[in-house]
Amino acid sequence: MATLRDIKRKIGSINSTQTITRTMKMVSASKLRRAQSELEKIKDYALKMEELTGRVIKNMPEDAHPLLAAREEVKKVLIVSVGSDRGLCGGFNTNVALNAENFAKQNRDNYERVGVYLFGRKIRDYLTRRKADIVKDWVDIKKVDQELVDAVAEELIGLYLSGEFDKIYLSYTYFASPVKQEVVFDEFIPIKTPGDVEYIDYICEPERTKIVESLIPRYISTKIYYSLIESQTSEHAARMSAMENATSNCGEMVRYLTLVYNKRRQEGITNEMMDIVGGAEALRGT
Amino acid sequence: MLNLEIITPEKTVVKDEVDMLEATGAEGEFGIMPGHTQFLTTLGIGEIRYTKNGATTHIASSAGLAEVVDDKVTILVDTAESAKDIDIERAKKAMERAEAMLKSIPFDHTEYRMYELALLRAIARIGVASKKL
Repeated sequence: MATLRDIKRKIGSINSTQTITRTMKMVSASKLRRAQSELEKIKDYALKMEELTGRVIKNMPEDAHPLLAAREEVKKVLIVSVGSDRGLCGGFNTNVALNAENFAKQNRDNYERVGVYLFGRKIRDYLTRRKADIVKDWVDIKKVDQELVDAVAEELIGLYLSGEFDKIYLSYTYFASPVKQEVVFDEFIPIKTPGDVEYIDYICEPERTKIVESLIPRYISTKIYYSLIESQTSEHAARMSAMENATSNCGEMVRYLTLVYNKRRQEGITNEMMDIVGGAEALRGT
Repeated sequence: MLNLEIITPEKTVVKDEVDMLEATGAEGEFGIMPGHTQFLTTLGIGEIRYTKNGATTHIASSAGLAEVVDDKVTILVDTAESAKDIDIERAKKAMERAEAMLKSIPFDHTEYRMYELALLRAIARIGVASKKL
């Protein structure tokens, strides 16, 4: 049985844990604000780029560009999973990793190979433990910038064009709001023409195929850039709510333990009093 | 009126109603006025000019795309700076550096193209900045 002093020590340790989680929450909150403003900046560009790409590649013959044509036989599939290096952010990394793992499991019979191209140490650790086929891992990314994104885009395009993979999926956490993040799992390469876009008969300068040629790599790197930033923002939001939960759980725990502590203390006092009274009674009897 | 938007990954540089727009396309300069047909082009490194109520604004831009649909002009470029944001000293230094590098490395070197682009960007910036007044 826990003695009074044990309980007191426990309360102290939970209190200091709470201080840490509260601080982490506040740090995440300020990081989230910064990430959100960065996200705002690129979001306009990414959405416009997506719209424009949709309009431009609409009604393009599939053979206009190798990244547009869907392959007849899809045997080898690559999943690009975007997560983070650090944990303590609730289900953030697990959700993305689970998504990739489940996809691989469900389609084990359909495809020859399901590879994972991932960002973030946590996802790497998770998938390594489960013996997933990891094609490349990016960890310790200091800052998401154009250089990094271009390298990734080039590598992905290379993996597709060389026939190493026949289809590439992109999975990241979409930042819907500070309290809501969703895992997105989309087809990425070959680029699909959206159905609900109207065809516009542009005058093109130079001809349309040339434009598509310069547009597509740009589109791919923008999309990667965007998903990395979305994921980063979501990470901070997820950590913030995880830490908020932890802080309130600590508070609850402390309240409960204080109750136990007081009860125990009172019990002790009562016992002592009983002893004294009992002793006095015994003395009076003689 | 044309509805003009110039967007870079950094921010939306311009979102405005303008009377006329001129820019450098893949096959030379072009101008857009209201009622222009649907038009799509790649943009080279150069200058984007637009006129609103008689006043002309100059913007130095790098490569990208421009789309015109129903008097809506969307320009997606990697960078775009208006004259007042340009550090002319820095641009001049960048130009000198690029010129020096271009002289020192062979034509078929992989970095040659990179410095060529840097030089073009610097020239565009200086061109725009000198029209500040």
